[in-house]
Amino acid sequence: MFSDTVVQKESTLLGPPGPAEPVFERETLSYTSCCDRFQLGERSFNRQYAHIYAARLIQMRGVLEQRAQKMWGEERGPIPIRKLGDLKIGEQCVIVGTVFKHMELQPSILREISEEHNLLPQPPRAKYISQSDELILEDELQRIRLEGSIDTAMFVTGTVIAVKGAERNDGKFTVEDFCLSDLPEQPPRQRLESNRFVLLASGFSLGGTSADSMLGLQLLVDMVTGHLGDQGEQSSMASISRILLAGNLLSRNTQNKDSNKAKYLTKKTQAGSVEAVRLLDELLVQLVASVPVDVMPGQYDPTNYTLPQQPLHRCMFPLSNPYPTLQLVTNPYQACVDGVRFLGTSGQNICDIVKYSSMDDHLEVLERTLRQRHLAPTAPDTLGCYPFYQSDPFIVDVCPHVYFSGNAPCYQSKRITGPEGQDVLLVTIPEFSSTQTACLINLRTLECEQIRFSSFSTEDNEETEMNVKYLGPAT
Amino acid sequence: MDELYLDNIDEFVNDHNKIVTYKWLSLTLGVHVNVAKQMLYHYLEQRRQDRSAIPLHATYLVSGKRVDNGSPYHKVAIVREDKLEDVKSKMDPAISIHVYSVQKAELKDSSPLYSTDYDAVKENLKNCNKYSAVRYAAAVPLSVAESQHVQETASEEVGSKSTSHYSNAVASKPNTKVKKGIIGMFAIKNPPKNQDSNKDIKLEQKETASTIEPAKKKEDGTTTIVNRFGKNTKIQEKGADKVQTSVDVECSKSPNSPTCIKKEEPADSKAFNEKKKDVRSKTKRDDYSDSDNETIENQKKRRRRIKPQTHSSSGDDGVQDSPTLPDCPVKTELLSCSETFSEDKRRKRRRVLKSHTFVDDEGCMVTEKGYQSESYSESDDNTKANQKKTAIKPSVGKKEDQHKCQKKAMIVSNKVAKQASIMGFFQKK
Repeated sequence: MFSDTVVQKESTLLGPPGPAEPVFERETLSYTSCCDRFQLGERSFNRQYAHIYAARLIQMRGVLEQRAQKMWGEERGPIPIRKLGDLKIGEQCVIVGTVFKHMELQPSILREISEEHNLLPQPPRAKYISQSDELILEDELQRIRLEGSIDTAMFVTGTVIAVKGAERNDGKFTVEDFCLSDLPEQPPRQRLESNRFVLLASGFSLGGTSADSMLGLQLLVDMVTGHLGDQGEQSSMASISRILLAGNLLSRNTQNKDSNKAKYLTKKTQAGSVEAVRLLDELLVQLVASVPVDVMPGQYDPTNYTLPQQPLHRCMFPLSNPYPTLQLVTNPYQACVDGVRFLGTSGQNICDIVKYSSMDDHLEVLERTLRQRHLAPTAPDTLGCYPFYQSDPFIVDVCPHVYFSGNAPCYQSKRITGPEGQDVLLVTIPEFSSTQTACLINLRTLECEQIRFSSFSTEDNEETEMNVKYLGPAT
Repeated sequence: MDELYLDNIDEFVNDHNKIVTYKWLSLTLGVHVNVAKQMLYHYLEQRRQDRSAIPLHATYLVSGKRVDNGSPYHKVAIVREDKLEDVKSKMDPAISIHVYSVQKAELKDSSPLYSTDYDAVKENLKNCNKYSAVRYAAAVPLSVAESQHVQETASEEVGSKSTSHYSNAVASKPNTKVKKGIIGMFAIKNPPKNQDSNKDIKLEQKETASTIEPAKKKEDGTTTIVNRFGKNTKIQEKGADKVQTSVDVECSKSPNSPTCIKKEEPADSKAFNEKKKDVRSKTKRDDYSDSDNETIENQKKRRRRIKPQTHSSSGDDGVQDSPTLPDCPVKTELLSCSETFSEDKRRKRRRVLKSHTFVDDEGCMVTEKGYQSESYSESDDNTKANQKKTAIKPSVGKKEDQHKCQKKAMIVSNKVAKQASIMGFFQKK
């Protein structure tokens, strides 16, 4: 617990000014960015997306075949692993392939614009799953329908899995069991002597309609920079060695285009994001003057929309740009902080899977993506993605120690262990603007806790707290 | 000193009716934040002892560990004085308690606290952490030169990695531009561009104002037509016979004018397209359908040529970390391409521009008029020009078109000076 690390004697601030006040030095930790794989050099959008699936399957097949042999082949000798083209009817075997989930409700632009059907535009839904969904497994050449003991609703398009079962006479594959590739290898973690913290926050939603969260944000900044609190707390704050902002720093409202406005009226209007970026710059300059900050873009931030999102441009931050402590990073983010490996996204991948599967819980989805070794299986199907063709950078080939996703409705965290003893902390970082909550990770113990901020408003203090608390999960 | 700050705070709170937060006080008086907190507390205590004084309201900051549904978390809260004990008792334990702000009025909600701090912080953004209790040695802003150097080296690293990905040199050039840093872009690239774009914008405005590009021709047409109509009406009054003749004249004229317009359009449209790309304006051209296949071909060619530029622009939008080449080669490359491009464009643009300016206000550009007179002699070649306009010699075609336009414009201007008459119209023929 962060609070427990605070060594506080008597309160020193409830008295007349005393002698000179102490100043605590923040330590510099070793830091290696591993974001290279998410940097786009060339940008050519002429290619088709089929290459991603091909590359993904090629990269994952070996792992899955191993996993399958280990899981099913140990009792009665090795089990045959077949390609779809070599299937024999009735023979029990293992097939490896990419899941395609056929969904009636999946929005399709082609269907929407086709005049023949004359369909009414479908209202946006929270979930696009239905009872009639079907799973189809594809390998390099063929596809086959899956039936049997496999929970259709749990899977999403793009996941590479191994399936045990047999093909029936009607050409469908009866599934007895399936396996995911599970956690990859994990480099050992250094043993740290002292408590050091990394603070994670996301969803500042600057430029939004509600300015209520601004005081909370300012409290967060003041706390980290050592303004708030007593000496004991300030000394602990000095052990926060890095801040990671996981996307959606700007509000969705900054993207409104006012399309119904006459064009001549919009001539001199400024984009909503301009003011919001200025605000962000002012916040960042306070932070970067005191602590290293990594800024990831999110869904609503002014950078490219497709994953991997490239770093925000430096020219947007004239104030904080001169500080070497400001790091603008890509959206899937990967870095080593003092030997602890971080991997995570701003949350688009998780939100998308929530839409297209029966899973609701961000933490559950997060764990699932790690266990199937893929950050964003639904890309490029329902999630925007750059058309990679040689390799799929979203495959998790090294197991992180901290795996996070941003902009979740509420804070959750969990420690999971893998088959080879991997130890991973999963964290869903809540949206700050609605929950006023940030997360603090202790690099020594890999424990995570929340920091909540509250202020009072016209109602009772307690009430606002309650509101904040219950607003989170609901939204 | 002791009493001095009390007076100060008293002045801020009572006389200025300010909300005095610890942070504002710290920045205003230039003291450590903790000292500012203590000052506020001390001041509050002193006031409270003095019964006669006006009651003051204070807010406190409380932070500590709290447990909620079995899960502990760290809580940081701003509370009003009356809730202080309440909140404190829920903390287990409370780590920090200090005065956050003192003010005369009771705060209904906490947003004024933010705006007070915001103003103070905004004035001190350069050294906003000067009085805080945590110092980070590495967080020193780099000078402009240093930061540029850092950026360049970083970009070079990335560039060296990713340049291998580049299939064509053209694509890499724009990126290199980007790399030089934003400043570099603005300094080198923009000046010529701006000028061009200004011109273009002017042009476009004029175009839209008048009836689009083939302005000279149309203008000729319109003025003459107007004249004709004016005369026609008179003539009509005089007699029907003459009306017929005048109509004949019109008809005989009209075949001519459409051809002229056609000829003009290709050149104009080409130029116009280029302009469009440069300025990246969103104005759409409607006349694509009007122009012949040749022009379309030409347009395509043009587009291809311009590609590098548009690429570069899109590259600009992109991430700052996109690959770059080392500085000096980049510069030279940049300069060279920009020069060549600008030369090409300038020629074409000027032509178009002139023609347009003629249409709108004659008095402004004397030099242009001179140009027109020179070209006048070539006007007969219109048909030839059209034929020549094949893909091989697009430029010649344009020139001649232009000349034609200019001729007509000349006529118009002459007429205008004299007050145009029907005769001018006959002369043309």
